[in-house]
Amino acid sequence: MALLQNFDLTSRIATHLDRHLVFPLLEFLQERQQYPDDEILKAKIELLSETNMVDYAGDIHKSLYHTEEVPKEMLERRAEVVMRLRSLEDAAAPLISFLQNAALVQELRADKQYNLMMLNDRYQIGPDQIEALYQYAKFQFECGNYSGAADYLYQYRTLCTNSDRSLSALWGKLAAEILMQNWDTALEELNRLKEIIDSKNFASPLGQLQSRIWLMHWSLFIFFNHENGRNGIIDLFFQDRYLNAIQTNAHHLLRYVATAVIVNKRRRNMLKELVKVIQQEQCSFKDPITEFLECLYINYDFDGAQKKLRECEIVIMNDPFLGKRVEDGAFSSVPLWEEFLENARLFIFETYGRIHQRIHIGMLAEKLLMDEDEAKRWIMNLVRSSKLDAKIDLASSSLIMTPNHLNVYEQIIENAKNLSMRTSVLAKSVLEFSQPVGTR
Amino acid sequence: MASRFWTQGGSDSEEEESDYEGESDSGLGAGEGSRAQTNRYLKGTNASDSEDSDGQRRVVRSARDKRLDEMAATLDQIRNAININDWVSLQESFDKINKQLEKVARVIEGDRPPNLYIKALVMLEDSLAEALANKEAKKKMSSSNAKALNSMKQKLKKNNKQFEDYITKYREKPESEEEDEEDKEEEEEEEGSEFEEDLTRIAKPDDEEEEEGEEEGEGTEGGWEKKTSKKDRLMDKQFMKDPSEITWDIVDKKFKEILAVRGRKGTGRIEQVEQLTFLTKVAKTPAQKLEILFSVISAQFDINPSLSGHMPINVWKKCVDNMLLVLDILEQNPNILVDDSVEPEEKESQKGADFKGTIRVWGNLVSFVERLDTEFFKSLQCIDPHTNEYVKRHRDEPMFLVLAQNVQGYLERLGDFKGASRVALRRVELVYYKPQEVYDAMRKLAEQRADAEERDDGEAGDEGVVFEEEIRGPPPFVAVPEVVPRVPFFPESSRDFMDSLISFIYEHGDERTKARTMLCDIYHHSIFDQFAVARDLLLMSHLQDGVQHMDRSTQILFNRAMAQLGLCAFRAGLVPESFGCLSELYTGGRVKELLAQGVSQSRYHEKTPEQEKLERRNQMPFHMHINLELLEAVHLISAMLLEVPNMAVNSPDSRRRVISKTFRRLLEVNERQTFTGPPENVRDHVMAAARALTHGDFRRCADLVSSLGTWKLLRDQESVLAVVEAKIKDEALRTFLLTYAGSYESLSLDRLAAMFELDGPHMHAVVSKMMVNEELQASWDQPTGCIVFHNVEPSRLQALAFQLTDKLGILAESNERAYEAKTGGGLDGLPPRRRGDAQDYGGGGGGGKWQDGSFASTAGKSGRSGYSGGGRYGGGGGGGGGFSRDRQASRVGGGGGGGYQGGRYQDAYGRSPYQTATRGSQLETSARMVNLSRSARA
Repeated sequence: MALLQNFDLTSRIATHLDRHLVFPLLEFLQERQQYPDDEILKAKIELLSETNMVDYAGDIHKSLYHTEEVPKEMLERRAEVVMRLRSLEDAAAPLISFLQNAALVQELRADKQYNLMMLNDRYQIGPDQIEALYQYAKFQFECGNYSGAADYLYQYRTLCTNSDRSLSALWGKLAAEILMQNWDTALEELNRLKEIIDSKNFASPLGQLQSRIWLMHWSLFIFFNHENGRNGIIDLFFQDRYLNAIQTNAHHLLRYVATAVIVNKRRRNMLKELVKVIQQEQCSFKDPITEFLECLYINYDFDGAQKKLRECEIVIMNDPFLGKRVEDGAFSSVPLWEEFLENARLFIFETYGRIHQRIHIGMLAEKLLMDEDEAKRWIMNLVRSSKLDAKIDLASSSLIMTPNHLNVYEQIIENAKNLSMRTSVLAKSVLEFSQPVGTR
Repeated sequence: MASRFWTQGGSDSEEEESDYEGESDSGLGAGEGSRAQTNRYLKGTNASDSEDSDGQRRVVRSARDKRLDEMAATLDQIRNAININDWVSLQESFDKINKQLEKVARVIEGDRPPNLYIKALVMLEDSLAEALANKEAKKKMSSSNAKALNSMKQKLKKNNKQFEDYITKYREKPESEEEDEEDKEEEEEEEGSEFEEDLTRIAKPDDEEEEEGEEEGEGTEGGWEKKTSKKDRLMDKQFMKDPSEITWDIVDKKFKEILAVRGRKGTGRIEQVEQLTFLTKVAKTPAQKLEILFSVISAQFDINPSLSGHMPINVWKKCVDNMLLVLDILEQNPNILVDDSVEPEEKESQKGADFKGTIRVWGNLVSFVERLDTEFFKSLQCIDPHTNEYVKRHRDEPMFLVLAQNVQGYLERLGDFKGASRVALRRVELVYYKPQEVYDAMRKLAEQRADAEERDDGEAGDEGVVFEEEIRGPPPFVAVPEVVPRVPFFPESSRDFMDSLISFIYEHGDERTKARTMLCDIYHHSIFDQFAVARDLLLMSHLQDGVQHMDRSTQILFNRAMAQLGLCAFRAGLVPESFGCLSELYTGGRVKELLAQGVSQSRYHEKTPEQEKLERRNQMPFHMHINLELLEAVHLISAMLLEVPNMAVNSPDSRRRVISKTFRRLLEVNERQTFTGPPENVRDHVMAAARALTHGDFRRCADLVSSLGTWKLLRDQESVLAVVEAKIKDEALRTFLLTYAGSYESLSLDRLAAMFELDGPHMHAVVSKMMVNEELQASWDQPTGCIVFHNVEPSRLQALAFQLTDKLGILAESNERAYEAKTGGGLDGLPPRRRGDAQDYGGGGGGGKWQDGSFASTAGKSGRSGYSGGGRYGGGGGGGGGFSRDRQASRVGGGGGGGYQGGRYQDAYGRSPYQTATRGSQLETSARMVNLSRSARA
């Protein structure tokens, strides 16, 4: 259990998330039962105390203390919230009624200035009402009405002229979409937000860095749920600025980058870069997954890699982003772990095979966390699908790799290959240079 | 009595007196009366003090008498020499008496020379005039005598100028002077002896200032000198008679007067400080006091005029005290604003303590603090580090830290964060290089000081004068209680101390301050073995990119930080990192210079005196030095660990990948020796170790390395050495495998492990890594635990084919380079030469530019011919290997035909053909000139 909690990043991640976004993480923890139930419930109440989801907080309180009574301050807060809701609703009412009328919305055009003028002239909706819409949307979000908030925020953005406000509206929209699990829309919002963060000349580089880190944390929700997220996360996180941000202030994100790279077969070229980063940061962040790569590609310590692989299982199973379960009848499985294991095996096998000419299969099976027969089948498959240049020697139950050394002649050809190209380039440029001289 | 005294006391005393009368609006009579008053006052308040002075008088008197007797003896000698007209011995005597004068001046108050001396001068002058007038006698003189006479004439003329006044006075009434001398001195001693010690360097009245128009100033100056030297008496005359009579105006006037003569030739610097210090006591308002205090401080800085010397230590201490006083005042009167941007109004400081609005006073606390720190630093630079004085000086560090801390606090409260961060930087710079032990020692010292009333007895002697002065003086009008804490506050760990300051500076400092702080931070982290943190700081700040454009001392700081980072990496066992940090320091062979820890003599070019001076000014004080022996050991060992296996890799292109040129050169030199003696210094040790390592003899290598004495400077010597030994084993294994791979078919893991005393898994990892990196053509046979080598020895044909492709590659490359040269890339890049003197190749850039210039003026055609000339040179030079630049020049001069320089010459002259022999000889000179200038640039 202690080991488990060591690997738990929830507390580190939570600092970079919105309150509402922490909620799913807590749910997951509760489900995995890593921590005592009471603690999680308390954390939930703590979390909710700053939001307006008072009823929900009351419910949790009841289940936590097994009472039917809701503490007085919660009741008071509830009344206050309701009152506030009323007043905000009133303030934003004209605009909302306008927006709810589809025919009227048709009149809006792409030109913001025109829209504002029109609203002001024809419907007496001024900046105050628009501001009220924002407050109302925010309040809705706080209350847990995410879909409403998302709608209002969307409309607010079409009307708003203040870029700071617009940015926070965008953050709100992203959070709402994530919480509603509309991954496609969320991804769109994410990209929009990223563009703004990267393009906008932020007042302070520090603020920009912070925004990037937030964005990366929020994006974890999307990338590990969206179908194309595996590529997305690599694309995003391996951009120089984002990689720098990780190295500066969010080392724990390396876990997710590493996992994404291991799982993604098509992005193997990133591995080298990743290993470099991991090596640089090994003193500031350690995690079985990064250590696995370290063992394999820096220290060539295969026993260590095997040990780490076992730990990886625990980590992945208990990570809110990675350990997503798929229920298949009575069977529940974590698809990501299976992929991870398969790829990790391939990694080990590849590296191992590269430096050996004869390997005992039993030994190999052990390294790959398989039993011998399974390993034999697995290798057989690899050989058959001609991914592997090797033969199995059943008599000594060993695998014999075919050495693939570069032929001397091939080497020479390789060396001489670019000569002709270089020469022709040179000849061409010399000719070009002398031409004007000749004509002169 | 008084008036009589005054007429005799100084040469221009009459003038003074009258001057003074005019100024202070009080008659002579009043002065006399008040003098009596003071005496009473003094007796009443400070009876013990006057006893003190009595005691002191006796001592001083005997010393003085001795000196005067000596002088009298010399005078006799002079007299004799004059009589026999012996100018050689006269000259000697004159030098002697001058020396004695210095000594005498030290004992007695030096404001006027003793009459004996003046008498000697007068005698000399007279006899000189006589001798010169007597042309006959002059001719008769021996040559040496005549020479002496002439030089005497010069000397005397120069010397007497200083004493002109006295001499004329003496000439007027030699007798009375002599008669009264004694009793005058008696008098003087009664009151003045206290101050004599301090007033040794009193300025002589300046002749030039006596010119018209200056007279007034001169007069007052003299008056003030007098006043300070006999302070008590003057004090009552001017101020003590009745405090109520002293007005702001009087003080202000005096103050302005003193300031007016500041920096003038002949103004006594110490004098001024004394005068101003006195004024601070009689200042009427806090603002005025502050104003004067600032001038005191600047005057104290003025005491040492030269850039290289340092401020006298006791003055420095007083200066710190003054600064603290300033802070006290500021603390008490929050309405006073110190500012150096606006010139305050005339009467600004007249506003009293009860004035509510803001009062502006001109001054700059930050620069004062910075100056103080600089002076402290300079004093440590100058003092011999092996003396007790050096150690003592270090004890003053907390004093400065208190001040800096207080100033910083004050500025922060005021909202001047920029200034505060500058002060904070100074504090950081005093602490950053201290390991925890030293820091603790400093902290303890500071605490002890707080207990023991801050001053230790050893120094009481120096400061006694100051002390008594304070006691003697009247109670200052503006009393300032000590508000500001006099004890520095130090957190437990130096890291905390640094952190608090650093984060403040990062927030508010300007670019340079931040950069310096960052470097200090890196240094500090490195000392505390936090390599990763230090490295990240360095990389994130991008300091290495911009450091070339920073000032010298920041560059030195950068070098120091890099050196320390390298040491830190080595302690952590990160050999490549350590090497990366240190190699640059060692490439030029100028480590000492780069770290500012001594001057290294360069064989190749002499430094100008200015350069040397500049260098000396930037030297680090001894206690901040990084041990060079340790640094060298670390650098060479890490170079060895990287380079030896690298040399063993016998792949065809290994020659190009040299990791450490310095190391290779050293090793070559070492190997060239016919007999190798036992290792003596660090370098010998490492070289011997490297040779052992090349043979895979890790044991001997490790022994040699660990036998170095310099390791004892490391805190955790054992663990570092253990790491080093492990690294040596690894590298020995790698070297062994690379060297002997060809001789083995297979090797068993166990056997290899036994050979190198390594454990199996680790060994496996090391060998695996080599296989993966394709350094070693081999693979594992897992069931038997063997390394199987697949060495394919290339056949002769294959080897030749390899060579051929290599050559072709070089050819293609040289073609490209030639093309580049033609299009303006620099003709010097021709490969044959480049290879020959790759070591000192460096003029390429300059040469290229030159070539550019010539190209601009030539048409394309001649450009081509020039190029072909260059080509020819390339062909000729290829055979001979490297041509040094001088040889090129002589070649052109001798041959005259088709040389490289010829081609170039043609370039420069456009189309004009170069054919005749005369042209050729002209060419020679011009070519040589180009060469010279270029090598100078290189």
